[in-house]
Amino acid sequence: MNYQARKPRFWRLRQFWADLKASTDPGLLGVGRFLGLLYGPIDRKLPIDQAYRKMLRYRLASYVTWRHALGGITYLLFMVLVVTGVLLSFYYRPSPQEAYPSIQYIVSEVPMGWLVRDLHVWSSNLIVVALLAHMARVFFAAAYKPPRETNWLTGLLLLWVVLCFGATGYLLPWDQWAYWTVTEVLNVIARAPLLGFFVEVLRGDVIVSGATLGRFYALHAIVLPWIAFALIVFHFMLVRRHGIAPPPGVTSGEGEGVPFYPNHLLRSFVIGVLVLAVSFSAAALFPRPVGEPANPFELPDSIISTWVVVDVSLALIRYLGVWGFTLFTLLGFTLALLPLFDRKPEQRLRHRPVALAIGLLFFAGYLILWMAGRQLTTVQSGVEVRQGEAAVQPQQDEDNTEEPNP
Amino acid sequence: MRMGVILLVTAALVVRGGERAAGVDRPALPAIGQGVQVDPDYSCIVCHADKRRAFLMGVHSERGIRCHDCHGGDPTGFERETAHNGRDYIGTPDKLETVVLCSSCHSDPDQMRQYGLPVGQLAEFRTSRHGHLLLEQNDLNAPTCSDCHNSHMILPPNDARSNVYPTNIVRTCAGCHENADLMGRYGLPTNQVERHRESAHGFAMFDDQNFAAPTCVDCHGSHAALPPAVTQIADVCGHCHVLVRRSFYEGPHGDAATSGLLPGCTACHSNHGTERVPPTEIASTCTACHAADSPAALLGSDIQHEVTEATEELLGAEEAIQALVRAGRRVTEMNSRHEAAHTAYEQLGQAQHSLDLAALEDLSRQVSSISRDIRSTEEVAAEERWEHKLILIPVWFLAMSISVLALFKLRGLAKRGH
Repeated sequence: MNYQARKPRFWRLRQFWADLKASTDPGLLGVGRFLGLLYGPIDRKLPIDQAYRKMLRYRLASYVTWRHALGGITYLLFMVLVVTGVLLSFYYRPSPQEAYPSIQYIVSEVPMGWLVRDLHVWSSNLIVVALLAHMARVFFAAAYKPPRETNWLTGLLLLWVVLCFGATGYLLPWDQWAYWTVTEVLNVIARAPLLGFFVEVLRGDVIVSGATLGRFYALHAIVLPWIAFALIVFHFMLVRRHGIAPPPGVTSGEGEGVPFYPNHLLRSFVIGVLVLAVSFSAAALFPRPVGEPANPFELPDSIISTWVVVDVSLALIRYLGVWGFTLFTLLGFTLALLPLFDRKPEQRLRHRPVALAIGLLFFAGYLILWMAGRQLTTVQSGVEVRQGEAAVQPQQDEDNTEEPNP
Repeated sequence: MRMGVILLVTAALVVRGGERAAGVDRPALPAIGQGVQVDPDYSCIVCHADKRRAFLMGVHSERGIRCHDCHGGDPTGFERETAHNGRDYIGTPDKLETVVLCSSCHSDPDQMRQYGLPVGQLAEFRTSRHGHLLLEQNDLNAPTCSDCHNSHMILPPNDARSNVYPTNIVRTCAGCHENADLMGRYGLPTNQVERHRESAHGFAMFDDQNFAAPTCVDCHGSHAALPPAVTQIADVCGHCHVLVRRSFYEGPHGDAATSGLLPGCTACHSNHGTERVPPTEIASTCTACHAADSPAALLGSDIQHEVTEATEELLGAEEAIQALVRAGRRVTEMNSRHEAAHTAYEQLGQAQHSLDLAALEDLSRQVSSISRDIRSTEEVAAEERWEHKLILIPVWFLAMSISVLALFKLRGLAKRGH
């Protein structure tokens, strides 16, 4: 403030003109400068330009190509989910009485609410696909090997967080499809070893109810975002520190590729725009239908799954049972632990048969289960019986009433 | 060791024999469950423990009635000869004795007043076919009281374990009426229960647990069980279908039924099956009695047209509401309108029994009008949903433009060796 106060008026005008000219820089740095124009003295005091240059003006490795964009696509979709999720939370009410009407309000009354909701739904599907594709590229390219094993584990944790996001968000529409799908999946998880107590805490009631909805919403909108942002920051820091892993047989090329800015960023921008266009198209062409309001006392005639992970889960439950569900989850944990055992520098697939087998089993299994799950359109028979059993408190057999003699 | 066991057993037998000789021993009473208060002076249960168990579950034990009240005998006698003698011992009553025995209390207003129970069962039973066979023809194939109400575990009709509970009574009747050998002697069919189970009444009772739905006794009577007379059928059905009955008697079929020319409702709907005549089969149902080119048959065709059209309109409205629900629209108002259309449709179903074509046309118009209103609302919503797709034009235009420009820029950068 003193800095401004000490200068004569004409100098401030000249400075303003200089700031304005600098802001017309067509490059990305111009954005920062233009923002700096709004707080010129701070801009001039702080080395923002240098920070930008350090962040943007470096060269990627020569082997970084289009296929390395999958991580960026995942991040973009995550940001779409964040933005649309915040917009949805303006109107969504997480209670059994208001959840369903608030979804109706968003879809039919809020301007472009349908688009926001369907973008959220479709991004939640596309992010799983992008994440798995990103993970498959890293896995088969052996990019999880030292020194990047921590980043592999961080990525798997991010996958887990995204799955938790989807699972907790799935109940929020509070329609029949969401209600009974969550009921069925929770029933199965409760029977899996060691998970019964976890399900009880998560459900908060003997059946899926308002208590469950509140818990799911709190996890979805408050707890998980913090965890996700922390993991994303850590993931990106590790990527910058260790760089992109070279493909098999390549030992050099670090810092010899295209500049991050503008070449790579422009390339990512094109992909990002196309991904957004695809998301918009899916949202406009295939909107997520709304089922009947959730009714714990009545099974729906059919269910429509709206999340790829639900398809996989239902296929596991129906076709392989609770043990299949558990084993497939353990297979996922095996992937997480792989870097601890597979520490040799060998990257070629034919020399990594065990890793190849595990990877194929997981990714091909996921694809097959997804397609199988798409065929399931009914609620599992007997789920309402278990629901009823859970709702009824166990009664002790007290046959000690005194009988009079005839 | 072995010698010790022998001595112990011998000592126990000696002590036991001594007690018996002293006259202090009584047969051990069967203990039924923990905490049961057993009356050691009541001898019937010593031999008839199985009956005691069933009897205790019934309503009579709650009222303090005991074995000897029905069977006579001496409950203080612990030997068969003494227990089964004296005090008007009758043992197991036969069917006729059972009727007399039960009615000795159940026809006595002084005894039944305290329980609020009717006393006309015996009088009703005398009028029934069952009572006629048993009491007048001494036909022991006919049922007596205990055949329906059980002999020892006699429960009130509102107890779900009772044989005469609404969901159980059909099975109770079926016990005899599905027996082809037995029914063959009386020339009766045995498919009534099966047809009732498949009827609208059976579905309502057994699938929907709707206890307002009729079972055998609601049409035939319980103690006075008889098939309704031909001229009574419309009135029997009209107990529940009040508005249909009124329409029926307003039309020409009502007169025919009153004079016995038409077996009431069963002429079109059958008896136990209570078959619903589908809207598309109304005309063919009419031609089952009327000549195909008769005015009555033509009227049937006109009624079919009205009912069919209203049915299609109403189904269309229901589908439209489902589409609105899936599109996330609020359908409270649509549901109210649909309810109005459905009410008119139900009135149409009732009014068709009067054969009043003008009234039917009026109701059909109401159904169509409301249904079209609902469908037009859905069409507007569908149009809006289609317009949502138009957003893809600017989206893809922008995406492709930006992508092409960016690719040109990338190409330029590559050429400059950036």
